[in-house]
Amino acid sequence: MWMYLLLAAGLFMGWSLGTNDAANAFGTAVATRVVKYRHAIIIISIMVMIGAFLNGANNINKLAELSANNAVSSTTEEVQAAIEAGTLGTLKLKSALKAAIIFACAGLTVFIMSYLKFPVSANQSIVGAVIGWGLCHANYSNPVVLKSNLTELLEFASTWLLCPLGAAIISFILVFFTKRFIEERLTTLSSYDTIIKIGYLVAGAFASYSIGQNSSASVTAFYYDPTGLGANLLTDARVAAVIGGAAISLGVLTFSKRVMMTVGSSIADISQVDGFVVIIGMSLTIVLMGEWMGIPVSTSQAVVGAVMGAGLVKGVKNVHFGVFKNIAIAWVSSPVSAGLLTYLVALATKSYFA
Amino acid sequence: MFKKTNVSALIMEQLKDVEGCLFNFENYMRAAATPETAQETLQSLAAGVFQMEGAADRSLAAMIESLGSGSMLPATKEDLINIATSCDKIANKCEHVAMMMTVQKFRFPSQYQEDITKILTITHEAFEVLEKSIKRLFAKFGELLKDHSILYEIRELESQVDKIEQKLYADIFNLDMDLAHQTQLATFVELLCDLSDIIENIADNIQIMLITRKA
Repeated sequence: MWMYLLLAAGLFMGWSLGTNDAANAFGTAVATRVVKYRHAIIIISIMVMIGAFLNGANNINKLAELSANNAVSSTTEEVQAAIEAGTLGTLKLKSALKAAIIFACAGLTVFIMSYLKFPVSANQSIVGAVIGWGLCHANYSNPVVLKSNLTELLEFASTWLLCPLGAAIISFILVFFTKRFIEERLTTLSSYDTIIKIGYLVAGAFASYSIGQNSSASVTAFYYDPTGLGANLLTDARVAAVIGGAAISLGVLTFSKRVMMTVGSSIADISQVDGFVVIIGMSLTIVLMGEWMGIPVSTSQAVVGAVMGAGLVKGVKNVHFGVFKNIAIAWVSSPVSAGLLTYLVALATKSYFA
Repeated sequence: MFKKTNVSALIMEQLKDVEGCLFNFENYMRAAATPETAQETLQSLAAGVFQMEGAADRSLAAMIESLGSGSMLPATKEDLINIATSCDKIANKCEHVAMMMTVQKFRFPSQYQEDITKILTITHEAFEVLEKSIKRLFAKFGELLKDHSILYEIRELESQVDKIEQKLYADIFNLDMDLAHQTQLATFVELLCDLSDIIENIADNIQIMLITRKA
């Protein structure tokens, strides 16, 4: 039973994701008092759970594949061998312990980077940590393992480009085509207020759904046993996603106010009307990326792309390209630092896990 | 959550009361610049200004009260309260000038009648443009967002008042009278010209309101 305590590392990661990602959904609306904080956190919590329940399992499977290729979770052969040898309990403990190490390293990276005031992506840190573990434990000299890992690594790395680019394109199209539609409906001051209120509520709810779909996987994927033979704590992908969603919701409900109040974007000058269209663009990208690739993407990358796309509607001069230097550093530094830290921990504990 | 309120009707009612106050104030000032007008007549005209100022105060209170239960965004409520309280300052200023002139039994020398009338006419014109802009804020918000050149008309009118004000100061301090009287005269000119300044400030606030809401 105490083994379930190891799940706390993942749940803590989910909790911190909740405290931060809530700002992407309702930060602007709450900070400008369009939506009350109390209403916002209730909507986020419910929608995150719905997103995790309906679509979270999709990303879990992909992350589970990555973790199997990087020796974080056990293969069917290893599990069967453990069953025959009567050591399934030990295998289960080691799997949960590995997951806890991955989350601890990724979490520590996020904490240090945030402390040093570097922009950081939690999802990318988790992926980096898994690869860091794999570099120490996976058999990279085996061409099959190498090929499989490289393919997955490329898939994950491609999201660094595809996610912000996709968000920029989707956001550009949305802003470009909805601008006139919205403008025509801004007949009175009351209609403006109503459009803003409904817009931010719908956008925030959709964004929360996308966070549930996208990030719930990152919280519990490494406690999930894809073999279904009981080699880890969780054997049902949907249950794992819902637990992840619950951890994120708890973060939103308990500690999201400060981040939500300080959210702001200096990437481009966008109007209040464009603001909620940008959130819809970001969320649509995350949902589509999840459906298409089954990979949890960085919500910060999606936000950056979406804001840039909306800014471009008014012209290139409207986008502050200087901000991208810091963001690009985060895109690379988050997974690299987490990977390096995990590699060192994996090296130190190699004899135990070998 | 999206309950309808009569905020726009209440603001328009307040503007009507402020305009009534401004109208009574103009009558008072014209009479005050005419040497033949009896002091009793002036007092009765001043009472008309005070009465309308009181009415404007009551409409402002009703408007603010209605915003409390309205469905508007907090930022919009703040902006509307800002506009309404600034409009109330116009009535307050009229009341203050009429009161000070009455207690001091002050009369503008007849040679300034024309300039005073000009200032009052331009100020009233500026107020009418302001009233039209505020009406558009509620009825034709989209159009006002795209084109708020109407607000520049107010600035133009205010600068006309500024020119007359400067000319009047130069004249007053060239008069053959003691400094105390010159200062008293200049003070009342300044108070009178404050009205168009207030109107211009409200126009600025409306412009800021529009810029922050530009789609």
